Amino acid sequence: MTDQADQSRRNFLYVAAGGLGAVAAGATAIPFIGSMMPAADTLAAAKTEFDVSTVEAGQMVTIQWQGKPVFVVHRTAEQLKQLDGHDESLKDMNSEAIAEVQQPWMDTPEKRKFRAIKPEYLIVVASCTHLGCIPLFKPSAGRKEWGDSVPDDWPGGWHCPCHGSYYDISARVINGSPAPHNLHVMPYKYSSDTIVVIG
Amino acid sequence: MLDKIMKTQLFAWVDKRTGAEAIIKSQLTEYPAPKNLNYMWNFGSLALLVLVLQIITGIFLVMYYKPSAEATLGGFTVAFDSVERIMRDVNFGWLIRYMHAVGASMFFVVVYLHIGRGMYYGSFKAPRELLWIVGVVILLIMQGAAFFGYLLPWGQMSFWGATVITNLFGAIPVVGELVSELLRGGFAVGDPTLNRFFSLHYLFPLLLVAIVGGHVHALHVVHSNNPEGIDLHKPEEMIPFHPYYTIKDAFGVAVFLLFYCYIVFFNPQMGGYFIEVDNYVPANNLQTPAHIAPVWYLTPWYTILRSFESKLLGVAAMGASLGILFLLPFLCKSAVRSARYRPMYQIMVIMFFVDVIILGYCGHTATTPVLKVVGQLATAYYFLFFVALPFLPKFEKTRPVPEGI
Repeated sequence: MTDQADQSRRNFLYVAAGGLGAVAAGATAIPFIGSMMPAADTLAAAKTEFDVSTVEAGQMVTIQWQGKPVFVVHRTAEQLKQLDGHDESLKDMNSEAIAEVQQPWMDTPEKRKFRAIKPEYLIVVASCTHLGCIPLFKPSAGRKEWGDSVPDDWPGGWHCPCHGSYYDISARVINGSPAPHNLHVMPYKYSSDTIVVIG
Repeated sequence: MLDKIMKTQLFAWVDKRTGAEAIIKSQLTEYPAPKNLNYMWNFGSLALLVLVLQIITGIFLVMYYKPSAEATLGGFTVAFDSVERIMRDVNFGWLIRYMHAVGASMFFVVVYLHIGRGMYYGSFKAPRELLWIVGVVILLIMQGAAFFGYLLPWGQMSFWGATVITNLFGAIPVVGELVSELLRGGFAVGDPTLNRFFSLHYLFPLLLVAIVGGHVHALHVVHSNNPEGIDLHKPEEMIPFHPYYTIKDAFGVAVFLLFYCYIVFFNPQMGGYFIEVDNYVPANNLQTPAHIAPVWYLTPWYTILRSFESKLLGVAAMGASLGILFLLPFLCKSAVRSARYRPMYQIMVIMFFVDVIILGYCGHTATTPVLKVVGQLATAYYFLFFVALPFLPKFEKTRPVPEGI
């Protein structure tokens, strides 16, 4: 009935039409899936301004940036000293593991320890890198204030209530925690001595 | 290519658990269709395509649309603003919105041509009466879905069109006011109306999917009519639906998409017929636009409504004009199906199509005394057509019908 030449032409037409149809279907899918990407006005809400002088010494506030919670901690000199002496217990003491835990201005070992442009003000994303809960602020070292909820060599920092991750007072994750990384540091800069622009 | 797939082991596995092979054979590859179907038979599959398009574009629009008549700064409303946001801020939002608005009008273009085919070739006659009736149900649900959807942008035409139509129901004696209030959720069209119309607009097309399934099932039991209107018995008069009509339908889809895409990309407003000018103005419940008219596809019934002085009579006539469609299979008593062989019916049915166009024109244009009379005459012919049908066989000399094709 149909000879070989006919059949190969038929096959060619099938493949050509089918291939073109697949390309057309893919091209049609692009606007629909694309429409699910953040809209222009959502993207415009990408920066937050904050006046750090409103945070008292030793105090932590939680603000919002891109819908996420952000810790701003005004660390005292004593609290900064709590950053030494426990390097072996940190998973990533120099914040080198992934891009999100470091910023270009961390160019000295000291900057990598303090994890802040101005050491007294730590600004990090308040989302535990395990599954996203907001960790509890437990700044004083030892068990005096926190009891058994922290280990006996507690250097001060954060403790996540959901699955028990621990971070030091530079938000660096401590060994034994389910969380894989330090709390993320987002791009920010000081537009004046006290105003920080996050994002 | 389909037969290659059907020979694979994977297909055998699926077939054992679903009966897929029997379904494919009975509905596609061994489903007999007349070999003489013309392009007027493409509109059914096109209607299904447009339904799917509307549902998909609708689902993506709902990701951003907000059905709230609450006021925002600047004198607008949340709903109106959300539509403008879709047009301006959402990636490809403009495209999806235009596809949906143009698709609504194209749905009616396709369905009216599909109905016209049915009326001309006698596809509503036995044994396809129930198929036709299910089709009329589909038309009514489509009109409902379109009406509910039109309120959603909350423009001037949306608001006032909904006000007029919900007030219509008040004309029904005894229960009218209650029905109006039930529809509106209040004393006037407002936020409750918007929210429930949104819910119903989402529901109706999904109901349609089920009812269209019933429509196709009813068709597959009695099989398609053909342009000659004769019953086909000989196997050489039939061809399998797949591959002949699947490819012809695919070709029809390609031509349709050409027109559709031209409109969506280059002229989505269609001169104010597809997207009305007044609807770019946010709804203002204290100011009626100079000229209220429904969207073009509802205008024939609007004319019928306006042709009567009495509000109740107008509503009754409008209802009757839709209701009488259900009776068509039983009113037409001719032994011959297709208008090709019925000279009187052929003229009458073509005049009917022209009549509906005239009704539409009158409904869309501002009333003048002349147009009012034209509308009334057109309304009269609309009903006359149906009323005359039972008497036609007495007078009509049908042409001899062919034996086969």
